[in-house]
Amino acid sequence: MINSSIVTTIFGDFAPMAPMILMIIGALIMPAIFFATKSRAAVTGATLAVIAISLIFNILMMADGYQGGYADLFTYDAFAGVMILLFQIVVLLTAMVSLSSSETTRLHYGAFNSLLLAAATGMMFVATASDLITIFLGVELASITSYVLVAMKRSDPRAAEAALKYVIIGGLSTALTLYGLSMLYGVAGTTNIADIAVALSTQDFSWAFGIAMITMIAGFGFKIAAVPFHMWAPDVYEGAATPVSMFLGTGSKKVGFIALFKIFLVIFVAANASASFATAEMQYVFAIIAAITMTVGNIVAIAQNNIKRMLAYSSIAQAGYILIVMAVMTDYALASGMFHMFTHVFMKGGAFLVVGALITVGIGEKISDYQGLAKRAPFIAFAMMVFLFSLAGIPPLAGFTSKLFLFSSAIYDGGVMTQWIWLAFIAILNSAISLYYYTRVVRAMYVDKGASKEKIKIPAAFTIAIAFCLVFVVILGVYPQLIMDFCADAASALLG
Amino acid sequence: MFFEFPFEIPYMLTLLLVVPLVGAIATLAMGGEKQKYAKYVAGVFSAITMILSSILLFTPDLSVYNESYTWIETAGVKMSYILTVDGLSILMVFLTGVLVFLSTVFSARESDRPHYFFALMLAMEVGLMGVYLAGDYFLFYIMWEVTLIPMYFMISWFGGPRRHYAAIKFFIYTHVASLVMLIGIFALVFGAAAGGTADFSFEAVLAGSAAFSSTFQVLVFGLLFFGFAVKMPIVPFHTWLPDAHTEAPTAGSVLLAGVMLKMGSYGIIRVCLEVLPEGAQSWQAAMIFIGILAMIYGAYACIAQKDLKKMVAYSSISHMGMVMIAMGCLSDVGIQFAVFQMFAHGLISAVLFMVCGAAGHNIGTREIPLLGGIAGKLPVFAAFMMFGFMASLGLPGLVGFWAEFGIIFSFYEYAISIDMIWLIALCLISLLLTAGYYLWAMQRSLFGKLTEKIDLSHIHDLSRPEVIGLGAICALVALYGLWPDLALSFIEDYASSLAFTLGVV
Repeated sequence: MINSSIVTTIFGDFAPMAPMILMIIGALIMPAIFFATKSRAAVTGATLAVIAISLIFNILMMADGYQGGYADLFTYDAFAGVMILLFQIVVLLTAMVSLSSSETTRLHYGAFNSLLLAAATGMMFVATASDLITIFLGVELASITSYVLVAMKRSDPRAAEAALKYVIIGGLSTALTLYGLSMLYGVAGTTNIADIAVALSTQDFSWAFGIAMITMIAGFGFKIAAVPFHMWAPDVYEGAATPVSMFLGTGSKKVGFIALFKIFLVIFVAANASASFATAEMQYVFAIIAAITMTVGNIVAIAQNNIKRMLAYSSIAQAGYILIVMAVMTDYALASGMFHMFTHVFMKGGAFLVVGALITVGIGEKISDYQGLAKRAPFIAFAMMVFLFSLAGIPPLAGFTSKLFLFSSAIYDGGVMTQWIWLAFIAILNSAISLYYYTRVVRAMYVDKGASKEKIKIPAAFTIAIAFCLVFVVILGVYPQLIMDFCADAASALLG
Repeated sequence: MFFEFPFEIPYMLTLLLVVPLVGAIATLAMGGEKQKYAKYVAGVFSAITMILSSILLFTPDLSVYNESYTWIETAGVKMSYILTVDGLSILMVFLTGVLVFLSTVFSARESDRPHYFFALMLAMEVGLMGVYLAGDYFLFYIMWEVTLIPMYFMISWFGGPRRHYAAIKFFIYTHVASLVMLIGIFALVFGAAAGGTADFSFEAVLAGSAAFSSTFQVLVFGLLFFGFAVKMPIVPFHTWLPDAHTEAPTAGSVLLAGVMLKMGSYGIIRVCLEVLPEGAQSWQAAMIFIGILAMIYGAYACIAQKDLKKMVAYSSISHMGMVMIAMGCLSDVGIQFAVFQMFAHGLISAVLFMVCGAAGHNIGTREIPLLGGIAGKLPVFAAFMMFGFMASLGLPGLVGFWAEFGIIFSFYEYAISIDMIWLIALCLISLLLTAGYYLWAMQRSLFGKLTEKIDLSHIHDLSRPEVIGLGAICALVALYGLWPDLALSFIEDYASSLAFTLGVV
């Protein structure tokens, strides 16, 4: 019987880091493979193989309920397993479509794949990190490689602008985060998160701690593009190659969320810090950020004519929905939030893939360019419609189910109405607003007459990736327990 | 029951969802060369659904068909796939089956992308059946939303000149209303759970509803009532309806007026009245007021309309206002005839919209001032139009008469009970207005001197499929008019048990 003992046999003490080690090896050899073969297909094949092996190992470990740590720096548990799975899916989709996307094939292909794997490794490190230092290192590995991924599209001046913005804002956010982390270390006397929680549970509130919290919220707020730290996101998503936009929008954002979950939820919930630690105030801060983020994201999205910008703003709105978790701070909310992160990968990722596929075949990024698409590319148009309706929360698609879980966690907590009903109200009203701009795209594709009637041939890699997302958007809508059960385990693993 | 269906069909209610779904997919596959067969495929599947739904009418014990499976179960919530049919829903299910099949027959000449057209109708049938059969709020909400998307495409692909505007207005209006309803559903489910897992099934919520406080009932009733009533529609929020109807193709209008509007009143009875009786007491006066407003405003607006179809759309608002009044009486007679009026109006509005559609198709215009003396040219068309108008204005012997009779009777009881008997005059005014606008429209369009404002060389009378579709519905209108007990007997027990819950026996 195949089980996780294979992993422990091969990797010994390093078993908790097995999925990452494989990816790092992949990142190191990709340029060499490209140099040796000069074949993009070979590099993509090798990249996909590396990801697939890493994915199989991770699934084996998840299925067995494997738990293990390495030197108090990394801990593989149910939470890490689920989040690693998410990043593996994201990078798998990105690597697959990069082979056919006209925007990525002109890049230095070996380096591109190498950076992609390195960025994914950084993200996965954050998922397993159990120490402030390793969280920071993981975030930085993911960020720095992402800057380069954005900047690589040298042919487009928008990419240069986007990359510059991304570097400056990213540097600022890193500085803020690091400042907060060091203050936290100063207060608690240790960098291990579990120990910090223990140390803090016997202390009173101090200003140093308050400053640490505020700077970390700002620092990670940039990463998840929460309002008012969101300005960079639309420019970066618009300027980057679309597969990279997809990678950032669905993967990179989640890094910030995981860091927030790991630091804030563990300190405030798992350690059961005393009331003097301002838990209620912190919840309000997050609730207000969540409400503003979703509202601004949705309202600004209405005005966009560029689909990538529209999707960027809708990503901001989705980040607002996930921030509900940070306000509610319960097991169930965390599980729902993680589930929404998963459905977001498939629906938002799918939408970005459609945009990328269409750019590859020479269709623009304006909503008006999509007119008459249903006639020209029926499958792609149908998939796009499903993704957008799922993002808007139309049942029975995945977005509806995950929003239902998430919003209901704000209403109800084990028998009592929570104080966050107003947040759920705002979120539901936001869903109504969002339908308007998603419908514009659907209308352009299905109702408006296009200038051309010529059929479009979509590259196979895109079709496969889009079909994959489509299947999961439907399956997770009608059978959410496929992932939700893992998320529930993960939430209880993190919060104890 | 004079005839009982001898067999028990396994998974009957699931079949009512699956058959149209499979039909929709099969019809969709009839693209390209095979387009001309799309209507036959759609006809077969909708006929099977209709037959299945009529078998329900001859089943003595409907509870044998209940189905219940757990669907999603997490730490906090539990959703189930529960299908059930009872005295309230059975007529609506039957109506859905009949109208989808007959409007498929009526639209047999549709030549513009027929495979899409008929697939959308079958897809809509899935949602409509689902709403009436659901026994779980999660499933109910899903099905409620599922009806929206086919209707949106129905209007924006096959509609009139202002179809884009009408389609998006319809979509946004009703979606926002459903979100308000969703908030109400959340409140109900989580309120009823009080401590345990939040179970979305109707049964669990009903069981937990005893603990609801009066304030909670009043508030949540408001949310749900708004969500449902926009669909009915109620007067300040009705403007999507005339637009949607005017632009929608005939079959779309038939389903919209015939069954989709009834989702609103069905929801009010099923959710608001059943689960929140105290809320209903507090909102009673408001319901009566809103109903009277819709009834009179709708009738009044009809007089001003030049477009036949828009006139019929406004008359729908007026007739749904009557349903609202009947529900607002909160008595067993009131509820019984509210449901009967839903059924009656479903049949009659189908006739009316088919007639309007035929006018557009066969004459080329629906503008009343352009028509005139058409009866001599198109006798069959004129006969159906007169039949539909007479049925709608409540001619004794046809189904509409009994519905209006019962509603006015229950309203009379209510008016006496609150010592405001003059209210009944408002009903009579509306009846007069209704008779007025129908007769006036008929006189202007059918009789008198033959019009010279339109080119008469191309007009032709109804085609055979149109006659079959219209004729079958007219036969039902007459059948239930002569023998209303055929329908009333289903509602009786349900209405009296609901009235008992409401505390007004």
